[in-house]
Amino acid sequence: MTKRLRFALSVSAIALLFGSLSGCAPIGVQVWERDILAKQEMQLDYQAIDMSLDDHIYFSKEGSSGGRGFGGGGCGCN
Amino acid sequence: MQLNGKVPIRGALTAITATLLGSGVVHADPKGKVESSVLLYSETNRVSAAEGVFSLTRFLKKDRILNARLTLDGLTGSSPNGATPSNNIQTFTRPSGSDSYKVKAGKTPLDDTFRDRRVGLDGSLTLPVNRLTKLILGAHLSAEQDYTSFGTSAGMTRDIFRKNTTLSASIAFSHDLVTPVAGAPTPLSDMAQPTRSNGEESEGGPSESKNIFDVVVGVTQVINRTTLLRVNYSVDHASGYLNDPYKIVSIVQGQSSAQPGEPTRYINESRPRNRTKRAAYAELRHYIGGHTIDLSYRYFNDSWGIRSQTVDFRYHLPLKVGHSIEPHFRWYHQTQANFYQSYLLDGAGLPNSVSADYRLAPFHAITAGLQYLFPFEEGTHLSLGVEYYQQFGDLSPPAAMGPLSQKNLFPELKAVMVRLGFSYDL
Repeated sequence: MTKRLRFALSVSAIALLFGSLSGCAPIGVQVWERDILAKQEMQLDYQAIDMSLDDHIYFSKEGSSGGRGFGGGGCGCN
Repeated sequence: MQLNGKVPIRGALTAITATLLGSGVVHADPKGKVESSVLLYSETNRVSAAEGVFSLTRFLKKDRILNARLTLDGLTGSSPNGATPSNNIQTFTRPSGSDSYKVKAGKTPLDDTFRDRRVGLDGSLTLPVNRLTKLILGAHLSAEQDYTSFGTSAGMTRDIFRKNTTLSASIAFSHDLVTPVAGAPTPLSDMAQPTRSNGEESEGGPSESKNIFDVVVGVTQVINRTTLLRVNYSVDHASGYLNDPYKIVSIVQGQSSAQPGEPTRYINESRPRNRTKRAAYAELRHYIGGHTIDLSYRYFNDSWGIRSQTVDFRYHLPLKVGHSIEPHFRWYHQTQANFYQSYLLDGAGLPNSVSADYRLAPFHAITAGLQYLFPFEEGTHLSLGVEYYQQFGDLSPPAAMGPLSQKNLFPELKAVMVRLGFSYDL
């Protein structure tokens, strides 16, 4: 239980850190500074279909799943 | 600001209006997008698979987005059944329950009749609640000969801090049916004997089910003009029949017997009926001198005792006239499930849970690949990727286990993947 708690706390701390820092000057950009961030290869869902194909392979061949998205079932993969 | 319609101004406005986080690709006047990908996957001497995905996205009125995705896959070949090698020929009942197959002495037992097809349908609808908040509703259906899955999902994203931070939360529920041709075997029961020898499949048998709940929460943060960070935490709870109906465990003679390590019988695996998985995921995307680096790390653990770490690295390297290449490297390591055992000893009694499935064993794996992206014209792209995947494990039994001690019981897995992708803006 302690391990789980530590795990959850560390994730929350990271999330909170970036959430709160975004109010500070060095983090984030103004709307007119999004030229590079608007590039196709900077989108987080860039090549989403290829990523889903990869995740399907790894879900079938390894003991772990999840993280980037849902980690549940959907196939009886062997 | 002068809105004279010249390209630099339009480009700047496009960039400004890009919501960036989870918003997809920036288009001038897109009505939608067609994306398709075909994956050919081939393991050395084992499974071969082909998978095709066709996705249609439509941008509707009031910024609504509708996506429908069709997935077709088929696979054939040999898959390890979980039994240990032997100095003698071994005979196993086929999954159909009607026939048997033989494995040569000294070879890793593989079920060579592995064959399946799958059809999957996914749909999602993105609904803006207001300027900063979106609701995403989804559903899926997946059907195989021996497995059916239905599910729904709902998620919400919220932009804050001038859209420099996006908070997201999603939940999903899936109900899966496990319907092997010969029925789902009772855990720990002896491997069934063939019912017939004429090759016909037996009819019916008990089916089983499981329910899966997923929750994912995340934060995406713009760090600066060239750097993005995403952090996700996911929890997944599955309950019900979590066994692989085709995996067995060898019960072998003990160290003091006449033939240590030789199997006396085989039983069906038995996994706990509940599993909770947790994963923390961080992804950093950085643009430097025209190149883009994508680095991600995942830490995973579950209630079965598996802990794993995954590092994934992609490098987007632009070439001339819109062409680009992307080297990719992935490293993965997992510890074993606490009920994983390569074999059980005869006379030692049966544990409540046991599985010899290599996917629950300790191992590490690497993926290395390269993808080439070709632009055809504005809004149309083609990509071709090749990847190599290999698992490494070491499961050598103690010397006292006779011939088994001479073998690595982790079944070797080497695979090549070829992927062809196509995307077209409507």
